[in-house]
Amino acid sequence: MREHGRGQREEKQLEAATESLISRVAHLKNALQSFIYKLEHEYERLTWPSVLDNFALLSGQLNTINKLLKNEKTPSFRNQVIIPLLLSPDRDEDLAKLTEQRVPVFSHEIVPDHLRTKPDPEVEEQEKQVNAEAARIGPDVAQKQIQTLNKLCSNLLEKLNNPREDRDSENAAMRQNKQSFNPADTNALVAAVGFGKNLSNTMQTKCRPPGPVAPGHPGQGPMMTGGPTLQQVTIGGTPSHQGAIGGPVAPQQPGQPGKMPSNIKTNIKSASASMHPYNR
Amino acid sequence: MEAPPVTVMPVTGGAINMMEYLLQGSVLDQALESLLHRLRGLCDNMEPETFADHEMVHLLKGQQGQPFLLRARHSLSSPTDPWHLRYLGQPEVGDKSRHALVRNCVDVATSQSLPDFLNEMGFRMDHEFVAKGHIFRKGSMKVVVSKLWRVLVPGNTENTEPLSLSYLVELSVLAPAGQDNVSEDMRSFAEQLKPLVHLEKIDPKKHT
Repeated sequence: MREHGRGQREEKQLEAATESLISRVAHLKNALQSFIYKLEHEYERLTWPSVLDNFALLSGQLNTINKLLKNEKTPSFRNQVIIPLLLSPDRDEDLAKLTEQRVPVFSHEIVPDHLRTKPDPEVEEQEKQVNAEAARIGPDVAQKQIQTLNKLCSNLLEKLNNPREDRDSENAAMRQNKQSFNPADTNALVAAVGFGKNLSNTMQTKCRPPGPVAPGHPGQGPMMTGGPTLQQVTIGGTPSHQGAIGGPVAPQQPGQPGKMPSNIKTNIKSASASMHPYNR
Repeated sequence: MEAPPVTVMPVTGGAINMMEYLLQGSVLDQALESLLHRLRGLCDNMEPETFADHEMVHLLKGQQGQPFLLRARHSLSSPTDPWHLRYLGQPEVGDKSRHALVRNCVDVATSQSLPDFLNEMGFRMDHEFVAKGHIFRKGSMKVVVSKLWRVLVPGNTENTEPLSLSYLVELSVLAPAGQDNVSEDMRSFAEQLKPLVHLEKIDPKKHT
C-alpha cells in the first residue's frame, strides 16, 4: 500500500512535470516560429536590435526549461524508459495530428531515429577517441596545457580589449618625445608662401619703412632692390599701360580689402555688355 | 585694345567663380616619412608623385590702393611643361561655420614667355621661391606636402637654401563659389592627419 502510494505520487509528479515541460516547449516553439517567420518574410524591415530581442527571448525560454529540468521536484526523465509497443506501417491520423503532420507513421523506419537516446555511432566513436586521448595524457601535462591556453587567451583578450589604451599611450608618447610639427614653422611657411615673408632676394630691404600701400597687405613685404623706384618708373613712364592694366586696381578704396574679385567681375560685366551689340 | 588682358582672361577662361578652399599646416622634417606613409594610406591609390616648382610672385602697383599680385609657376623637373599663372583673391577667414579658408582663384596655363609678358605689362617680381615635395589626391581634394627653398641669387634656382626645418602641408579643393560642404570633407580629412599634422585655416594677415 505504501509502495503503491509512493508510486502514485511519483506518477503525479512526473505528469505535472511533463505538462509544464510541454507548455514551456510550446512557448519556445512559438517564439522560434515567429522569429523564423520574421526572418523569412520581414527581413527587409527587420532591424538588428529586434533580431537581438528575439534571440534574448529564445535564450530566456531555454533557460527556464533548463531550470525546470534541474528543479528538485522534477523527477529525472533520464530514468524513465520508453518502449515502442506497437510498430505499424500504416498511417496513424492521431499521431499525425499530435505531431502537426510531422510524423504520420509510427513504423520501424523512423522509430530508431525518434527514440534514440545515444549519439550516432560515428559521434560515439569520436567521443571514445577523445576520451582515450584525455586519459593518455597525465594530469600534470593536462594542467600545464590548460594553464598555457588560459594564459594565451587572457593575453589575447587583453590585447583585444585595450587597443585604444595602447594607441592612446603610443600617441601620448609620440607627443611627448618628438613633436611632429612646429606651429612657428607653420606660421613662417604660410607667411612665406602667402606673401613672400623672408623669401626676398635681398635682405637689406627688410627695414624699409612702410610705403603708401594699404596697411597689412601682403605686398608690403620686402621688395627687390630698388623696388620703389622701379615702381615709380612704372607708374610715371608707362601711363597707357597703367590705364589699361591698373584699371581694376586704381579705383580700389584703400580701406576695403577683399574687393579685388568683385572689381574684376564688374569689369567682365561691362566688357560683355559692350560686346553684346556685336553678337546681335 | 580696349579690354586689358588681365580682365579678359577670366571671361575666356570661364573660371571666375572658382573658389579655393584651403587648410594649412606644417610637418617637421623628421616626421615627414610618417606623414607620407599616412597619406599614401588615406589618399587615392596612385603612383607617388613628386614635384619641384619655381614660383615667382609678380606685383603691379597702382598710385593708391592695393597692389595686384600674380603668381607665375613652372616646373623645374619637367621644363617643357606649360607655365602656370595664378591669381588668388583676398582670403575669407571670418566665417566660423566654414572650416576652411576661402579665396577666389583663377588658374591659367601659359607659355614660357610669361615672365617677359608680365614684365612688359608693368609687373615686377616681388619675390620668388622654389617648392619641392609630394602631391596626393583624394577625390577632389589635393594634398601638397612641400619644402620651401629661398632663392639666394635672383633667378638662379640652383642656388637655394631651405627656409625652415619643416615641410608645408596644404589641403585644398577647387569648387564653385558657395559649395561650402566641401569644407566639411576637408575638416574630416584633416582630423585623420592628427596628431601628425594640424591643418587649420590660417589667416595670413595675422603673421605679417
